[in-house]
Amino acid sequence: MQLAWLIPVFPLIAFLILLFFGRLLQEKSAYVGIAALALSFIYSVLALFERVGGETYTYVFEWMTFGETSLTMGYEVTALNAMMLIVVTVVSLLVHVFSREYMHEDHRIHVFYSYLGLFSFSMLGLVLAPNILQLFIFWELVGLCSFLLVGFWYFKPEAASAAKKAFLTTRIGDVGLLIGLVLLFNEVGSFAYADIYAAVENGMVEQPMVTAIALLVFLGAVGKSAQFPLHVWLPDAMEGPTPVSALIHAATMVAAGVYLVGVMYPVFLASETALTVVAYTGAITAFFAATMALVMTDIKRVLAYSTISQLGFMILALGTAGYVAGLFHLMTHAFFKALLFLGAGSVIVAVHHRQDISVMGGLWSKMKITSVTFLIGALAIAGIFPLAGFWSKEEILASALLNGNGFLFGLALVTAFMTAFYMFRLFFKTFTGDYRGAHDDEDEADGHGEDDHHGEPHENTGFMTMPLVVLAVLAVTAGFVNLPFIGYPLEGFLTAGLNLGDQPHGELWLAFLSLAVAAGGILLAWAMYYKGSISEDFFAAKAPAVHKLLLNKYYLDELYTAVFVKPTVAVGRFFWEMDKGIVDGMVNLIGRFTSTSGRTFGKTHNGQLQTYGVVSVLGGIVVIAIAFVLRGYFG
Amino acid sequence: MLAFEATWSLMTPEIVLGALAMLVFTIDFMTGIHEKKPFIGRLSIFSLLVTAVLVLVMNPQGGQIGDTFLVDPFAMVFKLIILVGVALVIMMSMNYLDRNEDIYQGEYYSILLFTALGAMIMVSSADLITLFIGLEIVSISSYALAGFKKHNIDSTEASIKYIVLGGTASAFILFGMSYLYGLTGTTSLYEIGAAMPELFADYTVMIMISLLFMLGGFGFKVSMVPFHMWAPDVYYGAPTPVTAFLATVSKLAAFGIIIRVFTLGFESIYAEWAFIVATIAAITMIVGNFIALTQQDVKRLMAYSGIAQAGYILVPIATVLNNFSITVIIFYSVAYIMMTLGAFSIITLVSEQSGRKTGMDTFAGLYQRSPYMAVAMAIFLLSLAGLPFTAGFIGKANIFLLAINGNMLWLAIIMIVTSIISFYYYFGVIKQMFMAEPKPNAEEIKVPGGIQAVVTVTLAGTVLLGILPNLLLDLFTGFNWMI
Repeated sequence: MQLAWLIPVFPLIAFLILLFFGRLLQEKSAYVGIAALALSFIYSVLALFERVGGETYTYVFEWMTFGETSLTMGYEVTALNAMMLIVVTVVSLLVHVFSREYMHEDHRIHVFYSYLGLFSFSMLGLVLAPNILQLFIFWELVGLCSFLLVGFWYFKPEAASAAKKAFLTTRIGDVGLLIGLVLLFNEVGSFAYADIYAAVENGMVEQPMVTAIALLVFLGAVGKSAQFPLHVWLPDAMEGPTPVSALIHAATMVAAGVYLVGVMYPVFLASETALTVVAYTGAITAFFAATMALVMTDIKRVLAYSTISQLGFMILALGTAGYVAGLFHLMTHAFFKALLFLGAGSVIVAVHHRQDISVMGGLWSKMKITSVTFLIGALAIAGIFPLAGFWSKEEILASALLNGNGFLFGLALVTAFMTAFYMFRLFFKTFTGDYRGAHDDEDEADGHGEDDHHGEPHENTGFMTMPLVVLAVLAVTAGFVNLPFIGYPLEGFLTAGLNLGDQPHGELWLAFLSLAVAAGGILLAWAMYYKGSISEDFFAAKAPAVHKLLLNKYYLDELYTAVFVKPTVAVGRFFWEMDKGIVDGMVNLIGRFTSTSGRTFGKTHNGQLQTYGVVSVLGGIVVIAIAFVLRGYFG
Repeated sequence: MLAFEATWSLMTPEIVLGALAMLVFTIDFMTGIHEKKPFIGRLSIFSLLVTAVLVLVMNPQGGQIGDTFLVDPFAMVFKLIILVGVALVIMMSMNYLDRNEDIYQGEYYSILLFTALGAMIMVSSADLITLFIGLEIVSISSYALAGFKKHNIDSTEASIKYIVLGGTASAFILFGMSYLYGLTGTTSLYEIGAAMPELFADYTVMIMISLLFMLGGFGFKVSMVPFHMWAPDVYYGAPTPVTAFLATVSKLAAFGIIIRVFTLGFESIYAEWAFIVATIAAITMIVGNFIALTQQDVKRLMAYSGIAQAGYILVPIATVLNNFSITVIIFYSVAYIMMTLGAFSIITLVSEQSGRKTGMDTFAGLYQRSPYMAVAMAIFLLSLAGLPFTAGFIGKANIFLLAINGNMLWLAIIMIVTSIISFYYYFGVIKQMFMAEPKPNAEEIKVPGGIQAVVTVTLAGTVLLGILPNLLLDLFTGFNWMI
């Protein structure tokens, strides 16, 4: 564990190498990245083994003196981050391997790999941070990297604007996080987790303040983990290359938000209100995102909304005191979501860079490995026994039932049903039936079209299928680390030494109920999209208004543009006009001052000098007047 | 007179710089007016560096000449910032001057040296007269510099505007000073400071008028709202390296005297004006950042961003006035001068390569045309916005924490929110550089040595201070800034 600091350093080195020598290495860049991540993975495994048999290891050094206090930096290996290290390095490594093939036609592949390295570095740094300030620093870097990667194909205007949207939307959450941090520092006098936990548990922080801090920190998580109402960036982030989506959705960007709540959990536990807000945010997000996933026709968008929905599940679990349930689902979800995204990537390559499921179909016989692994992923996310998703989802339902209320539980159950339905809608439309994309190869959906790629879809090479197989194995087995029959080993590991209360566990009937709901969803999808016994348009025809509402994502983008973006720019305009125009008119009213002396400098074309002078003098007088009135010098 | 028995050696750096500036001036006359004179540029940089060394080695223990001229850590650090800043400005100007034949090179260099001299006197002064003389040396030189492209209408216009509004500012300052002198009968800030509590009790209104007029006048120089209006036009019209000078050295020197005057003169009535400064800081941050959102010209954008930055620097002054807040301000000043000069040197380069235009679209595809410059510019802008691992982040984080400790939570929150908004416009430029194709006729950029050097130095500083802030913070924390 003493060497754990090396884990993020390897990808950083890869980044630096590629930054300086990338142009020479070109396609070989991939191997630099893969090697770095492989080393990180090995060290993560070592760290995990040591941590399982040992204690938390912390190393800090003084980084910055601030007055009398000094801020530290360093790293620590706790149970939680030992688990996260594995998740991040596994997914990142497999994404690195997968991209070798996926991106090989791109002449900027070295840039791509350098960004991936930086991204992995940031996320690993975030996970290893022993204090929340350091977490915040890496948090920002993660955001920056996702900006770079989502906008990687910047020549697509959608990609460039999606990148900017992702970065700026999450920054709204960051405002909350930063203010929360500053308040926390003000109360506790330290950024270190250990000090924060101790202070909160000893009741050093007053009750309303704890709630405020928890909610502000949570706002950061809402932005990063794409929770309602800040989820709008994540579906657009699909404009990035597919392996990046896998990375963002499974292990890095969005996981950071859930991780933040996990690592600050004692603060949340101290505030009933905060927990309730967290739980409802999670449940509502899970539900709304799932409804949108029902109608999307872009393979990646369906997965994007499913990610938002699953993240909602995790947040719901955390909000109902299911600390282990939430983080357990974070881990299992990382594996099967990475699997589904990489599977989607494999499909997209096979059908010549198109993403619309209405032009897919019939891929089962053409791409055996992709199809089977995708099916495993879909079963896992739907929560079918004994795959990973079953175990973690069942725990989430248990905590929503036992510590939440009927509403939360009901919402979660309905969402679980929809999850199974939309995943299998996707699966049946993509892999079964007839291939519907044979004859319209000319309309390239992507700026990526190469002419020599026409023809039937076929399976991809080992660089792309190997990660799928590995992830499929993990999607089957990852749930076993917290089996009820062997006494919830993951739970014991994660909660040891922490004072988090009892973890909720469901009874046997709950497991059957969740299984039945998932099976019901799959069955309905099967009836509609495979068997055809229910028309595909059945629901759309019954409730066209709802269908339209869902297709337009509840018009949230439009709403935000109207409510937030436009007013902000308008305020800017307003101040600018003040600077330029209104003031001008005011001066005209005051007298002919401007018109007479204006001739002297009449040729100036940008801004009237006299106006500035008058405004400055008037401004000065106003400042003085206000100051005097406020301080009461006149009275 | 007492003053003649004082230790004049305290002024050695100023005297030497003055002499060297005269030398540059003379050599310029002797070599004809129209030539390219890179050697004069090098001589000027050399003069500045020699002066910087003298600042370091002469009188490290500090001292003062009468009550008028102070040498303390505060003055010394500010002088180093000024000298290095002017040296970097000259370095980035050399190529620019060679490309613009209508600029008389020798005059340009010597005038910049005189501004450095004026700024040094400003930050060392403890007397209203000395202070005003320093200020006017800087101001009058700046007016000339802003109009240095005398056949260019924008430049001439910038100069005229700057003269008139700068003159107004000087009038504000003198008017405020005259009240102080009238009430105390002295121009010494020490004596004024000593008399202040009593004076304030007796002549509240007059003292406040004097204080606010001086604040307004200095406010012109640092471009705080509502005295900021000259900045965008002057920044836009002035030759780009001069804009860089105005945005950095000139602004920071003005901050130096604000701190000096308000610490020495008005500290005892801190409670009376802290709130006013806080309000102005808030308005400055809001107005600067919001207007910057609408700008399509890089130089104007930097002007409004500079206004917003002035707001950030005002926050510590408004929060608490002690050794530590000065540390925070000086750290931010160092960070600010690095990132701003770096950014402006790249703006100079890009605009010169795009036919002297400064629209946002001139940056399109810079990453393809010159990857190093694009990455460096991105880092400067991110630092200005306050992203971690840059000096700007550390500087801002310090200011946040200070504001929180000083119970100015609302001000800290305004700062956080407005700096989030600032990401939007900085990202507009970054998006152009990385996510837009270069214009069809744009060529690969050949980076001249001077600009390369400035960018490398400032980039190293920006990143190094972002990762290891203690290099400076430890040093600064040990200082007793004002003797």
